[in-house]
Amino acid sequence: MGPSNDRLQQRLAWLRPLILLVLLVVGWDLAIRLFRIPPYQIPAPADVVATLWEEWPMLLSQAAPTTLATIEGFLLSAAFGIPVAMLIAGSRTVESYLYPLLVFSQSIPKIAIAPLFVVWFGFGALPKVLSAFLLGFFPVVVSAVQGFKSVEPDMLDLARAMEASRLQIFRMVSFPHALPAIFSGLKVSITLAVVGAVVGEFVGSNSGIGFVLQRSIGSFELPTMFAALVVLAMIGVTLFWILDVIERWAIPWHASQRQDFIVAA
Amino acid sequence: MIRLLLAAACAALLAGPAAAADKVVLMLNWYVYGEHAPFYYGKEKGIFAAEGIDLDIQEGRGSGVTTQAVAAKTAHFGYVDVPTMMRAAVKGAPVVATGVLLQTTPMAAMGFVEKNIRKPEDIKGKIVATTPGDSMSQMWPLFQKKTGLKESDFKTVSGDATTKLNAVINGQADVLLGYVMDQSMKIKDATGKDVYPIKFSDYGVILVSSGLITPTDLVKSNPDLVRRMMAASTKSVLAAVKDVKGAAQSILNANPKGGKIETLTEGFELTIPLYKDPTGQSKQPFLVSEQNMADTVAMMVEYGGLDPVAKGNVKSFYTNDYLPKDMPF
Repeated sequence: MGPSNDRLQQRLAWLRPLILLVLLVVGWDLAIRLFRIPPYQIPAPADVVATLWEEWPMLLSQAAPTTLATIEGFLLSAAFGIPVAMLIAGSRTVESYLYPLLVFSQSIPKIAIAPLFVVWFGFGALPKVLSAFLLGFFPVVVSAVQGFKSVEPDMLDLARAMEASRLQIFRMVSFPHALPAIFSGLKVSITLAVVGAVVGEFVGSNSGIGFVLQRSIGSFELPTMFAALVVLAMIGVTLFWILDVIERWAIPWHASQRQDFIVAA
Repeated sequence: MIRLLLAAACAALLAGPAAAADKVVLMLNWYVYGEHAPFYYGKEKGIFAAEGIDLDIQEGRGSGVTTQAVAAKTAHFGYVDVPTMMRAAVKGAPVVATGVLLQTTPMAAMGFVEKNIRKPEDIKGKIVATTPGDSMSQMWPLFQKKTGLKESDFKTVSGDATTKLNAVINGQADVLLGYVMDQSMKIKDATGKDVYPIKFSDYGVILVSSGLITPTDLVKSNPDLVRRMMAASTKSVLAAVKDVKGAAQSILNANPKGGKIETLTEGFELTIPLYKDPTGQSKQPFLVSEQNMADTVAMMVEYGGLDPVAKGNVKSFYTNDYLPKDMPF
């Protein structure tokens, strides 16, 4: 195994999930043929692909509002989640007041209260964004708290000994140390935000993938429904991937980003 | 695999000891409301037991879901919107209607009486709440065509069943598309205010609605059970119509949280006229005319996304063969 071979393997890494995906689809098709599952219960993959092809312009245009709501909800999660985590990690008092309530609120099924968002905020984009935010918020907080708390005390002592200001300590020690954990929280958050946006669209919206899902379920258009699910998954994967790229750029020094180095060593 | 297991489970259920009553699962179209009174009344008064049926009534989550459950034999019978069943049947679901109870459509556009929306023209400039993909939203273009309304005449907001109700209750929409005896009562329960329905049937929308459906297999394998089920259901309807209050009360006896007695009673009262077709020709509960079914299929093909082949085999969707003889209204 020379280094060039390793590099080739790395370059083809994206093929592996694709191979698994193809195997899964073949298994799905076989299962339908073997057990003679009727199309009104589970559609055949070929039908879903055909629908995806035919309805692509419609699905794409409906994907736009869903993606927008997801991103907005996600950004809200990050904008609120990280500061809240800083407060919790920074102060035992805040932690003792806030953290239990946060866990408590997390156990409430968002789907149960989503209809109320429409009552409170109408049929616009806000209910979707809020439901994406609610689903995406918690993982950011939990991971970021973990990240801020796991800063080595010695490092902090060193910084203090060098008379660094609080802001400098945060900027140079705490925040960079917490970033890997924050990013792992953000990655969980963005996939959940997609779900949140669709839940919001399901309960009340005039457009979006959730709207397509509801309409197709009502008229037994299972291939359309599955095609919409595929589009949804693609939104999730794309957003996850973008976040991954940002992570590589933001924390190139972290162990999780040093595969190249490890493989070559 | 799941289907095989389900089929096996159902077969085991159906093949109980001969002496004991047959356990029959009836899945409703939706959570319980006034329209369902006859089934609860018949169970309470022992009408189903007298036919050797141990009836288990389960609430549903929409006619589509119930139809799929019946097709997969998770339930022996379903009480569903028959046009919805037709859409599943043309897609291959092995189900058939063994009786159509509501022979006039209960669909309506409704808003608070105080909004004074009483005829189709009044909807102009208003906000209409709909659920995309449900039966009402599919017939809505037909209603517009019959009444000269245009899509641009009003604004539409969409959401699920709860959102639709909330929108009218909270004033985010002026009217919703619903059933005269269902949503109107739910709004009244929540607000205490009366609702005025503009009935689709008053403007030439001819469409059957709820009926009993069963897997086609069951009709072939156990016609006797189907016959007894239809006899008991027919008797239950006739008895419930004569004791409207008692019938509504039977819902509460079975589900103490099933609603308020006043609105359940009013809801059932509003259901009774729908047992007859728009011409008033219907003679017996569940006995539907060929013309009414043919009209329904024609409307469904034109507006409901039903495959045009359906027009040629209207009779494949329903049968009156298992109804009892001579039990007129």
